[in-house]
Amino acid sequence: MVDLARKNLLHDKLRFLITVSGVAFAVALVFVQVGLFLGLMRNATITIERLGADLWVTSRNTPNVDFAHAFSESRVERVRSIPGVARADNLIVAFMNVNLPSGAEEGTLVYAMEDFGAWNFPWHVLEGDTEDLRRGNYVFIDESAAKRFGPFAVGDYREYLGTRLKIIGRTTEARSFTTTPLSFMDYQLAQRLLRSNTGSQTMYILVKLAPGADVEGVRAEMKQRLPYNDVYTSDEWATRSRNYWIVSTGLGFNLGLTVFLGCLVGVVVVALTLYTSTMEHLKEFGTVKAIGGSNRDIYGILARQALISSVVGFVLGAIPSLALRPLVSRLGGLELQITPLLMVWTFVGTVVLCLAAAMLSFRKVAAIDPALVFRG
Amino acid sequence: MSVLRAQHIIKTFQEGRETVNVLRGIDLTLERGEIVVLEGPSGSGKTTLLSILGCILTPTGGELEVDGRKIDPRRPELLPDVRKRSIGFVFQQYNLFPALTALENVEFALNIKGCRGPEAQQEAERVLRAVGLAERLRFLPRDMSGGQKQRVALARALSGHPPILLADEPTANLDSEVGGQILRIFHDLAKKEDRSLLIVTHDPRVRAFADRVLHISDGLLAN
Ligand SMILES: Nc1ncnc2c1ncn2[C@@H]1O[C@H](COP(=O)(O)OP(=O)(O)O)[C@@H](O)[C@H]1O
Ligand SMILES: [Mg+2]
Repeated sequence: MVDLARKNLLHDKLRFLITVSGVAFAVALVFVQVGLFLGLMRNATITIERLGADLWVTSRNTPNVDFAHAFSESRVERVRSIPGVARADNLIVAFMNVNLPSGAEEGTLVYAMEDFGAWNFPWHVLEGDTEDLRRGNYVFIDESAAKRFGPFAVGDYREYLGTRLKIIGRTTEARSFTTTPLSFMDYQLAQRLLRSNTGSQTMYILVKLAPGADVEGVRAEMKQRLPYNDVYTSDEWATRSRNYWIVSTGLGFNLGLTVFLGCLVGVVVVALTLYTSTMEHLKEFGTVKAIGGSNRDIYGILARQALISSVVGFVLGAIPSLALRPLVSRLGGLELQITPLLMVWTFVGTVVLCLAAAMLSFRKVAAIDPALVFRG
Repeated sequence: MSVLRAQHIIKTFQEGRETVNVLRGIDLTLERGEIVVLEGPSGSGKTTLLSILGCILTPTGGELEVDGRKIDPRRPELLPDVRKRSIGFVFQQYNLFPALTALENVEFALNIKGCRGPEAQQEAERVLRAVGLAERLRFLPRDMSGGQKQRVALARALSGHPPILLADEPTANLDSEVGGQILRIFHDLAKKEDRSLLIVTHDPRVRAFADRVLHISDGLLAN
């Protein structure tokens, strides 16, 4: 089969370049925008995922994991006494100011618990042993802090809420939605630093269930015994945290708008270039009809042109987006999350939209009078 | 045996409020292997007649039988299939696909006619050899002379063995010597392969080998 579609596309290289650039632009825009969005969403809930609790007990109406509210830490005992609960521990998540040697002040999000090891948290330790945290005024800091705090090393001291803490370890990947760097310290130390509400308050209770325990049953019991708290599964809690950011920052709307505009630009460029190409090839399509070709034969040629443009455009858009990932994570403190699923959907969307764009030309082609082949 | 029979073909065009009677009752038959020349002044309806005989236009009135099939003017959707099976066209403007080589131009036409793969390629090579373009198979139209392009068009028309060849002023864009060559190739191939050829031309040299010369004026034929 002679591939007239491909040969015609390549015959006018400049137009082909414009077409695939339009597609590539749209694809790159979608990849970067959705990739950043997914990266932000991942940052927003990475601690929830990595802690791996079955249930989270939060104070009433806590909007997301970063904005914790305090409640009495003794409630953990009530949780522990519920049948089906294998383990329950207090967790403090609190924002603290850090005084830098330069005199500047920065913020950090502190995660504090008694037994980090039991929760295998933080999950990616570069240096140090979390067992040592309980031995004094010590802190682990995520390496992403270097960008805001300046370079730091294990053995350095930093002032947290006016108290000098020794850095005894470093982690990586521990980030928050706002890219505020994370610190890890002992539970009692955090309570002392936050002293305001005496030393008896926690922010969350993390719960691990016994194997085979009925999640809903345990949760119902928990809600009964802790009427002033909310209880979420890990997934629910992650979703709630994500949704808070999506709605409160307008991120969801912004994303939808950008993706829509990207697709619109891509579709318009493809539709117009294919249409002008069709207009210029009217006589050729008339010839196809004269030698016995049907409208469907010509639709096939147009669809194939759209398909080729979409595939080439997709590849040209995907390559720079993927290449950009290390740069984005270095500059933005954020992973561009171009997941296989995103790739598949973007590819499908690209092909479908390009085919739809080709349809703009279908009516023109259907109306071609083959008698035009005899005219000059 | 006739491969094409037209009886009392009428064609009118509506030009605004005016009705133009271009063909006013044409009777014409084309026998197998016959070469017929159609002459006539510009605007006399030669192209219109060729279009109707080639099933590109439907007549306003009259009867048409092509390659044994009666043409029903109320069912234009059946015309492409008749063109595909029975008719090879050669146009004044060549109408080649600029992005395709000589070989691909012919092969593509064969593909449209339902012949594919190596079979189409072999047939395309065969007809291109027959028109003397064995050395130009991979040339694009822009790299060929007018005469060569018209030979590709002729090869395309011959491919797939349609019984009827219709040519509309095939040499009008060529200089006289090249035009003469093209006409000779037309003649040789039509005779050798037993195709019927209806050719519109003003070239007097065709009379030398034509079986019949028809003259059209005022929408009517005269011998
Ligand atoms: N589609 C059309 N609409 C209106 N008039 C037409 C159309 N096609 C041809 N005609 C008219 O029919 C006449 C014959 O045209 P044509 O068959 O092209 O003549 P020739 O090929 O002999 O020069 C001309 O007067 C032309 O203007
Ligand atoms: Mg004419």
